[in-house]
Amino acid sequence: MIKFILNGKEVETVAPATVRLIDLLRDDFQLIGPKEGCGDGECGTCSVLVNQLVQNSCLIPIGAIEGAEIITIDGYCNTEQFQLLSECYSEAGAVQCGYCIPGMIMASEALLSQNPHPTEEEIREGISGNLCRCTGYNMIVDAIDLAAKKGDGLW
Amino acid sequence: MVTKAIASYRMKSLDETLSQLSKEDCQLIAGGTDLMVQRKSPRGAPGRFDKPVVFIDHLKELKQIYRVNQDIHIGACCTYSEMMEHHLIPNILKKAMKEIAAPAIRNRGTIGGNICNASPAGDTLPLLYIFNAKIRLRSAKGERAAEIRDFIQGPRKVDRLKDELVTEIILPEVPEVQPYFVFEKVANRRADAITKISFAGSMRWDEGRIQDARLAFGAVGPTIVRAADIEQKLVGQAFPLNDKVIDGIVAEFESLLKPIDDHRSTGVYRKTVALNLLRHFLEVRA
Repeated sequence: MIKFILNGKEVETVAPATVRLIDLLRDDFQLIGPKEGCGDGECGTCSVLVNQLVQNSCLIPIGAIEGAEIITIDGYCNTEQFQLLSECYSEAGAVQCGYCIPGMIMASEALLSQNPHPTEEEIREGISGNLCRCTGYNMIVDAIDLAAKKGDGLW
Repeated sequence: MVTKAIASYRMKSLDETLSQLSKEDCQLIAGGTDLMVQRKSPRGAPGRFDKPVVFIDHLKELKQIYRVNQDIHIGACCTYSEMMEHHLIPNILKKAMKEIAAPAIRNRGTIGGNICNASPAGDTLPLLYIFNAKIRLRSAKGERAAEIRDFIQGPRKVDRLKDELVTEIILPEVPEVQPYFVFEKVANRRADAITKISFAGSMRWDEGRIQDARLAFGAVGPTIVRAADIEQKLVGQAFPLNDKVIDGIVAEFESLLKPIDDHRSTGVYRKTVALNLLRHFLEVRA
């Protein structure tokens, strides 16, 4: 039995310890916000927060998350910070097909919570583990920059 | 979800973990960033592990970073991020580690895991070879230390017995004044890509003479390539190095490096880039 905190609620599972967190979230908890892109830790669309740190849920065996606090986009979307990021992504035109966005948003949150006023270079570094094949990244960088400016004091 | 019974352990302490390792042959899992890719199953199924797994990345005993005299001890399960945020880790190493992976992997992958995975393209390995890192191992029976160049024996092959666990990486005699240091990683993408070729070099000079030079190449052979005899030829040379000396050193490595073709790159490309990076490093003027 593995117990952990998922989007603020204590949960438990009897799934085997080497099942990937992405599969547990999507199949057992029906949290389909995190996507599986590459399954190799290269694309970042499965990103979730583990004890406030952004990590790839496709690389995490669930046995390793005993007691951890996991936040997925499905839980994060109820926050004020998400609302602002959502507005800024929309305003900057940062969403096209949308497949990378759950991961991009979690990477944005992880960046801004550690560094509320990042430079452009720091933004690019912050989302460097997240692939987007539509936007060419510039609009996403603009969106995060906008959120940092509008969200002064929020992070 | 398919449930296949394979035992898994997550002990409360290092001693309990070592005791488990002394009882049966187990697969250790630290961050899992390599293993979970290598052992990936179809969606939803447990990873393809053929022996009991033991999780170790929560063990506090493996997460300490401390200094003893001039030696820096790094717990094997420190993540890249934890190292990059720690005041005892030399700045040259922190800066180099920024070139590795991306935040999400750096928050999960561990230094001990990168060593024990023993990939020829392992990103921290050229850096650790430059620092002459030592690997500290423990079992229920006792403790020992090994030089990293002896510990890593080949692709995916390390000198670790089944009941042993890597507890620490030691960077011995780290000088207060950091040397000139370069780390280059060449890959398809800046972040999250497996290295085609990597190079780390450090050099110290004083009053116009080279005091110390270390050169390490990654992904150009089964293990990291360092050559003490070639490095020694640089010691005592006038700094900046003249073209003749540089040509001589590059020529030595030209006959030493024998990279292979694989799906990531070709031997010719790897060798050309490796030698160019070496030359660029040796041409430093100040």
